[in-house]
Amino acid sequence: MQHSQQRASLPKLDVERFELPNGLVVLLSENHSIPSVSINAIVRTGSRYETDDKAGLASLVGELLDAGTTSRTSQEIAETVEETGGHLATFGDYQSSGVVLTLLSKDLSLGLDVSSDLLMNSTFPEEKVAQRIDRRVAQIKARLDVPRTQASDVFNEIVFKGTPMHRPAIGYDDTVKKLTREDVETFYRCQYAPSNAILAIAGDIDKQAVKNRIADGFAEWNRSGQFGTPVVSQARRQTTPIEKFVTVHKEQVNIIIGHVGITRGNPDYYSLLVMDTILGSSPGFTSRIPRILRDEQGLAYSTYSNITASAGLDPGRFIAFIGTAPENLSRAISGLRKEITRIVEEPVTAAELDIAKSYLTGSFVFRFQRNSQIAEFLIEAEVYRLGFDFLEKYPELIRSTTIDDITRVTRKYIDPKNLTTVVVGPVDVIEH
Amino acid sequence: MKTITTSTDAAIATSTQPGSFLTRNVQKMVLPNGLTVLTKQLHDKPVVATMVWYRVGSRNEELGQTGKSHFLEHMLFKGTDRYKKGEIDLVTHLNGGANNAFTWLDFTAYYFTFASDRWQSALEIEASRMRDTTFADDEFVSEKQVVEEELRIGLDGPWEALENEVWATAFRQHPYHWPTVGWLEDLEAASGADMKAYYDKWYHPGNAILVIVGNFETAEAVARVEELFGNIPAGPATAPLRVVEPAQRGEKRLIVKKATPVERLFIGYHAPAVGEPDSYALKVVETLLATGKSSRLYQRLVEKDKSVTKADASYHDHIDPSLFYLQAELQPGFELSNVEGAIYEEIERLKHSEVSSAEMEKVKRQFEASLVIGSEEPLQQAMLLGQYETIAVSEHIPEDSRGFRYLDTLLDRINAVGIQDIARVAQKYLTDSNRTVGYLIDDVEQERDRAA
Repeated sequence: MQHSQQRASLPKLDVERFELPNGLVVLLSENHSIPSVSINAIVRTGSRYETDDKAGLASLVGELLDAGTTSRTSQEIAETVEETGGHLATFGDYQSSGVVLTLLSKDLSLGLDVSSDLLMNSTFPEEKVAQRIDRRVAQIKARLDVPRTQASDVFNEIVFKGTPMHRPAIGYDDTVKKLTREDVETFYRCQYAPSNAILAIAGDIDKQAVKNRIADGFAEWNRSGQFGTPVVSQARRQTTPIEKFVTVHKEQVNIIIGHVGITRGNPDYYSLLVMDTILGSSPGFTSRIPRILRDEQGLAYSTYSNITASAGLDPGRFIAFIGTAPENLSRAISGLRKEITRIVEEPVTAAELDIAKSYLTGSFVFRFQRNSQIAEFLIEAEVYRLGFDFLEKYPELIRSTTIDDITRVTRKYIDPKNLTTVVVGPVDVIEH
Repeated sequence: MKTITTSTDAAIATSTQPGSFLTRNVQKMVLPNGLTVLTKQLHDKPVVATMVWYRVGSRNEELGQTGKSHFLEHMLFKGTDRYKKGEIDLVTHLNGGANNAFTWLDFTAYYFTFASDRWQSALEIEASRMRDTTFADDEFVSEKQVVEEELRIGLDGPWEALENEVWATAFRQHPYHWPTVGWLEDLEAASGADMKAYYDKWYHPGNAILVIVGNFETAEAVARVEELFGNIPAGPATAPLRVVEPAQRGEKRLIVKKATPVERLFIGYHAPAVGEPDSYALKVVETLLATGKSSRLYQRLVEKDKSVTKADASYHDHIDPSLFYLQAELQPGFELSNVEGAIYEEIERLKHSEVSSAEMEKVKRQFEASLVIGSEEPLQQAMLLGQYETIAVSEHIPEDSRGFRYLDTLLDRINAVGIQDIARVAQKYLTDSNRTVGYLIDDVEQERDRAA
């Protein structure tokens, strides 16, 4: 078995960062692999900044960004972009909202024009607001058709109780129905301000030319906003085990076991990334949970665990997931719990550590293949202050992880005695 | 020390015509044992994608044995004479790569992506598992459970039950009748011996296409390919499958009941195989109806009628004639029959040439841009090259568009589609008699029975 040791060339990114006088942070990265460009124009807001009684508001605002501006109708916005073959999406997530555009590079100016228009001049026509609310309500219902989503929603309600993370970003039937055009307009006015925004552009651009275009397009954005960070109560890890069984009549039971996780800024993030790779996040079936529960025991098609995947401004979640036939329920739960306990109680082997580090350093290059990935990375680096030399630093952050680090961080961040277990499936017809 | 030579028996052809950016610099060779090799050097990213395509999918299966192609795909990760169980993933993992595989109606394909200083592991693994996969009984038993769980995920999904039923109803004779994952009952009855026999029948160089795209040197790569694959016996010839689905004579309708809060609609029309002249105009129809928010179905159903949460049109390239299909997810309070009627009105407009030249231009640009933007990664390019080399093989396809060359002429043929072609193919294929219509409705009785 060969084992090539870190010879692959690291991805290289030439990043330029500057701020406009109105506070907008601009990040540019130029490459000419293909004649296309990705524009991510995001605002640092989302459902994290809404209240329980307005659950779903940030997500609705994000979706409505393309519903009309002072100079274009929704149809004109769609046609303007699609006539060029480009693709536009608008969104509102937990901690970021905004516009994502992919275009052929010759249409960059038009892309900048549309993204600035949506961030600055959206009008939220009454009729469109009502229409999208109706659609939201239907989409909330449709979530019940996907048992994995349902299990995830139930899990979040339990472990993130009392914090904004407990809510699905899309909101609830009863809160979304009550949202009004005024709610939308107010949220947009307060939150969508240039000093709260980041514009990342990656791909086939001429940086100098694009700078002038950005200054022209976004300089007029002078909304001051009132986005002072709200008091976000941080989720605390539970101190007792919790179990929740939800009956739905499906072929499989979907099981999530876990508790509150960590923030992206946590200094132990990289040790936990290595831990994730050992316990349950490898591609294929090398890591423990997929290898043992899927490849050896045949319990599932889909089973994994992670703690770093959901790390954000607020603590995410440590979860282990499995979807299996109802008759395997108790084996599956005990199998996951056993692996969670084992990684906390027993040191990982040197071979496991070596394989995980080798994978993480060797696969890093694949995170920078597409312009959209690069644009997302630029924003991630800005939000978490990773530094644009992160690409050079990353291998060492991974390589310096030791067996003792893994032992220390699993003991610190994973508590096998106090886990939340959520089961969604035909649990009424099986014994548990 | 190996000498790097190129086999004199291998015919090497380098693309010289302008064609598509996708086919630029593609070299094709066929080894004496029949293995087709496509290589394309791309030096802008330090990665290499390697794929092997086998021309076998659920299309090649028989009644009572459905799902074997897909099950076999799973078994190819379970070990070979050289790689013990788990080692294929381990080698991938150690080298920071990724691997996976997929099976569909016409093919089974495997891929690896590696950084370019270590990509040849992929060749070594593929060469080993082409003929030397071990079929240990206990591995077979546990993997059967995994595949059954995969099938159950599909059964729990909101769309699969309806989609499977429409295809099974539309295709009476042709094996597109069954889903690639197979029928659960067939899967339960499958044996390791069945699987091994199927592997011995289809997994040979003569039925395989190796595609390598990325940052490598062709001469060195070809030499390594010859070294690793050159000695694999050609294997038995497989007779081409000739199963014809006769023309449908009249609309077919069906209802699937399933506990669901959201009703769904699926309409399938029999439509031409890959590379048939009318297929290009139908691709334009697909984009016109459903790509983006300016598309016909979005503007009509989502924006104007407000009767659906989403609507889509799909038409995929397959070896044999397949389905052009439409899907809609209903907004509660609206009737399936009304949404169905609105879709037919939109189709009628196409039949009457109610398409502007600006709209035609838009659709063609969307088509072209998606091809460019969807090909950023070497793996995405390998997918396209391998897929068409595998499926664009019928005699009805003109020489200049056969195999991966399909991509050379694709955009030209799309650009040649006119408004009158849209009307003509809509009149020819999107007709009452040619369609199968499925409704997914809430199974109220099932819920009541359980509650009782």
